Amino acid sequence: MSTIVIGLSMGMLLFLLAAGLTLIFGMLRVINFAHGSLYMLGAYLAFQMVSVTGSFWAGLVAAPIIAAIIGALMERIALRPVYDRDHVYQLLLTFGFILVLDEAVRIIWGLEYKQMYPPELFAGAIEMFGSSVPSYRLFIIGFGAAVSAALFFMLDRSRYGMIIRAASGDPEMVRTLGINVSLVRTGVFSFGAGLAALGGAVAGPLFPIELGMGFNIIIDSFIVVIIGGLGNIRGAVMAALLIGMTRALGYSYAPSWVDFLTFILLIGTLILRPEGLFSRKGRTA
Amino acid sequence: MNAQRFLALIVAIIISVPLLFPGGHNIGLVNAILIWSIFAIGFDLVFGIAGMLSFGHAAFFGVGAYTLSLLTMRMGWDFLPALGAAGVIGGALALVFSYFAIRVSGLFFALLTLALSQLIYIMAGTKLRMLTGGVDGIAGVPRPDLFGIDFYDDGNYYFFLLALFVLALLISGLIRISPLGQALKAIKSNEVRAEQIGFNVQRLQRSVFTISGIYAGVSGGLLASLIFYVGPQMLHWSTSGDVVIMVLLGGMGSLFGPILGVAIFEIMREWLSMQTSHWYGILGLVFIICTIGMPKGIAGLIIQLWDRIMPGGKS
Repeated sequence: MSTIVIGLSMGMLLFLLAAGLTLIFGMLRVINFAHGSLYMLGAYLAFQMVSVTGSFWAGLVAAPIIAAIIGALMERIALRPVYDRDHVYQLLLTFGFILVLDEAVRIIWGLEYKQMYPPELFAGAIEMFGSSVPSYRLFIIGFGAAVSAALFFMLDRSRYGMIIRAASGDPEMVRTLGINVSLVRTGVFSFGAGLAALGGAVAGPLFPIELGMGFNIIIDSFIVVIIGGLGNIRGAVMAALLIGMTRALGYSYAPSWVDFLTFILLIGTLILRPEGLFSRKGRTA
Repeated sequence: MNAQRFLALIVAIIISVPLLFPGGHNIGLVNAILIWSIFAIGFDLVFGIAGMLSFGHAAFFGVGAYTLSLLTMRMGWDFLPALGAAGVIGGALALVFSYFAIRVSGLFFALLTLALSQLIYIMAGTKLRMLTGGVDGIAGVPRPDLFGIDFYDDGNYYFFLLALFVLALLISGLIRISPLGQALKAIKSNEVRAEQIGFNVQRLQRSVFTISGIYAGVSGGLLASLIFYVGPQMLHWSTSGDVVIMVLLGGMGSLFGPILGVAIFEIMREWLSMQTSHWYGILGLVFIICTIGMPKGIAGLIIQLWDRIMPGGKS
């Protein structure tokens, strides 16, 4: 039972990252290499808020907002000038962000590991089906499910979602219809950055907060995005849960092979269905 | 004199610093520049000519370094055959990578090469710890033993590296003007059209990726022997990032550009890391500004300035 809970919570975390990556890719055709750094930044920001205010919830709210502002600045200042160039340049820029963001974190918070604690409400463990499960993990599952439900509702039902989906498909046409597409781009990048930081803030109490955490999770997120299908957000949910469960099962049965298992999934996907396990034609966001 | 020759002159001056100013302290720096240049020249064949952005070259570089170290230290091989083996293994790994990575195109190629090289990095640290020495790496990697020359002297080793550097540059120059190079440029500018003309796009891409892996393997082996050490850091993704930065900084797709990029990167590393421990962040800022401001790198900038100063002498 606890394996399933760990797997689901891991999957939810990965989904928060993969959703941001997918949205940004769908809208901007940019793979954001710095997504892991934003996740790490989110964890540090949440840690800072907790040590200042003493409230976990303040961190959970503040970290994504600050990261979203940083994301908006990144898009405005650096990415906007290079949209008309080859996509490689945009990817390289986000790689440059990794170096700068990591250095900024190193300057501000130093090299030591930081520790965050779950909020008191979810500090304990719950008995479920005869095994004890940390209630914070359950909170992550519930929170992640709520966020993804809200996300899908926004994308499918709201006017903003409609604009994002339309602009992902044909930005020129949407611009002709009188919508400020460059503002939509900034918004989507900023929103994705916020989602990554939200993931980081939620992950804070689970893992030690350190400089390498961004890179560790970004590789898994990339694998999720590839397995799920490029730019396919529904695929990303399934793939995130698949990778999360694989990791959790791996940790409990074959700990030293965990990393290989995810790669076997990745390579298997590429051989069987290079376009992604959960891909459907003609759907991007 | 045209702009290309001017670039060649700059490169020639940089690499001949130890000849012009013998007995200086710059010899170690120039040796490092020569080795990283071989890596960057090979990387640019994939990145600048074929237009494939790989974030996995650290794997070939590091595996080359481990191959040379293990063959010379554990198996008692001579240096030169071991260096050849480093290239062969680097190229073979690149070929294996390419079978998976070329299935996806464009940006996802970068993600996949990154993920695969990370797998190699993890393997070297865990499963192959017996072989690779884990995080400690292997110390005491030897240098060549040829003609009775003492290559443990940096000044003598310089000539060995210079010879290999010139060879690497020549081969890369030949590939660029060869039918293979021309076909790759065609694929870069329009993959669909190249395929319709009748090129076997994937096979050509695999070939150049493998050649580039050989370059990376050889240069990795050389770096291990220069610093007498090989560690997992060489396999780390940031090594892939470094070579990307070097090539882009210097000017992708030009023969001499990557070498200029390496020189500037190494001089920055040498100088900035003395001033501040945060040099990598500064490097990131420089990289961002260069990516926005000068997409053709320093070589592109020099060519542009040259053509403005010397109109009519177009390169």
